[in-house]
Amino acid sequence: MTRFVIPLIAVVLFFLEPIFSLFSPIEQNGELFVFVPRFLIVYLIFIAAYYSRQRAILYGLILGLLYDMYHIDIIGLYTFMYPLICYLSTLVIRQIQRHTLTVMVLSLVMIVLLEILSYFFASVIALTSIDFNEFLTSRLVPTVIANSIFIVMFGWTFKQITLKRFSQKQAGF
Amino acid sequence: MPRFFSNKRLIILLVGVIVLVALIAFSLRDRDHSNLPEQVVKDVVGFGQSMFTKPAHFVTGIIENIDTMLNTYEENKRLKERLDAYAATQAELVDVKSDNVKLREIVNKLDDLRAYEPIQSTVISRNPDQWEDKLIVDKGTTDGVEVNMAVITSQGLIGKVVLSNPFTSTVELLSTENINFRVAAMIAGEEEIFGLIEGFDRQSRQLIMKRIDSSFDVKKGMQVTSSGLGGIFPKGILIGEITEVSTDDYGLTKLAYIRPAANFSMLDHVMIAKRSSTIVDGTDGGSSADTEGDDES
Repeated sequence: MTRFVIPLIAVVLFFLEPIFSLFSPIEQNGELFVFVPRFLIVYLIFIAAYYSRQRAILYGLILGLLYDMYHIDIIGLYTFMYPLICYLSTLVIRQIQRHTLTVMVLSLVMIVLLEILSYFFASVIALTSIDFNEFLTSRLVPTVIANSIFIVMFGWTFKQITLKRFSQKQAGF
Repeated sequence: MPRFFSNKRLIILLVGVIVLVALIAFSLRDRDHSNLPEQVVKDVVGFGQSMFTKPAHFVTGIIENIDTMLNTYEENKRLKERLDAYAATQAELVDVKSDNVKLREIVNKLDDLRAYEPIQSTVISRNPDQWEDKLIVDKGTTDGVEVNMAVITSQGLIGKVVLSNPFTSTVELLSTENINFRVAAMIAGEEEIFGLIEGFDRQSRQLIMKRIDSSFDVKKGMQVTSSGLGGIFPKGILIGEITEVSTDDYGLTKLAYIRPAANFSMLDHVMIAKRSSTIVDGTDGGSSADTEGDDES
């Protein structure tokens, strides 16, 4: 049963992201704050940390491709960035203790990295013209705050699910 | 400290980067059309997405209902005051409309730029990485949606269709940073003043209307609607209200800032306006023809 739960949660998060982006941008005191839901990548980092790096990269590749084709119409951005983030986070995880809190912090750091990468791509392809300072205040900070709420709410559950699957696999199931 | 990249991984990474650049270049070249695999993915993912979004809209709808219920008393009082005036206006409108139809018959001009058939659709997702202001709605070419059609809410114009697949279509909002997004607009008044809406000022969240003939007297507070002369949009869709008038960079024409009438966030139901009279690929659609040359530069 858990075998299917892991990809199923990834697909559900993939579909949940655009729903949450319907609430964005939020206007506060005449200033516009954009928050970008990055739920899927958090989950992929938990998979990479507790279950399997290959699986995380594979899911990142498939869902990144769907993300590109469905939302962005530029194939290659997230197809590349999702697996890259998964790979980088496994490199870091090897060096540190695999505590829930550290993985949570790591996924936040990776969200920041992903945002900066996507900002870099967007400004190279001229999708956006905002400067880095504005990017920081109007986009990066709200995104990190919103996603940290998500991580705190679901991080522990993700850990339990991925660990359970990992131990099942160890048992040869 | 292990080596960061072994040789094998370095090769994989390099090949990955090359494939990435090739793919991006390939898909950037032609973003206005989607090929068959893209269409299939869009429709299938769109179907799955609507499974998730429609319940979400239902829940937000309930919350909104509760929210409005709390203000019912205040609102009711205000609405009652307006009701008398409304009835009179309504009667006059019916009279004028029937008059209009009769007069049109007399002059033998049955084609009306204003007439359009609204295609009701639900927003199923908003581009999650919000570099571009794009929505995906659940109606496509099978329902008669075509590229460049105007997309409106009850408040006014919000954008246009940029990509249509059999069962879903992508809508680009007016608040886009895309410089090729143009709308042929008109300032309603005693005489009709024409101009083009080109660009969006992000700081003040206002649209910029350019190429207004400087001999006309444009004032703050005037209403701006679509002119119907762009070829695809119907005439008379409310766009917004002028807040500031100045001259353009060369001092030859006037430039106006417009506060959009519609709200671009929290969109759930939108209408796609299918114009009844002949559709010509003019200014409204011309942008799509232009982008092909401009995008790469």
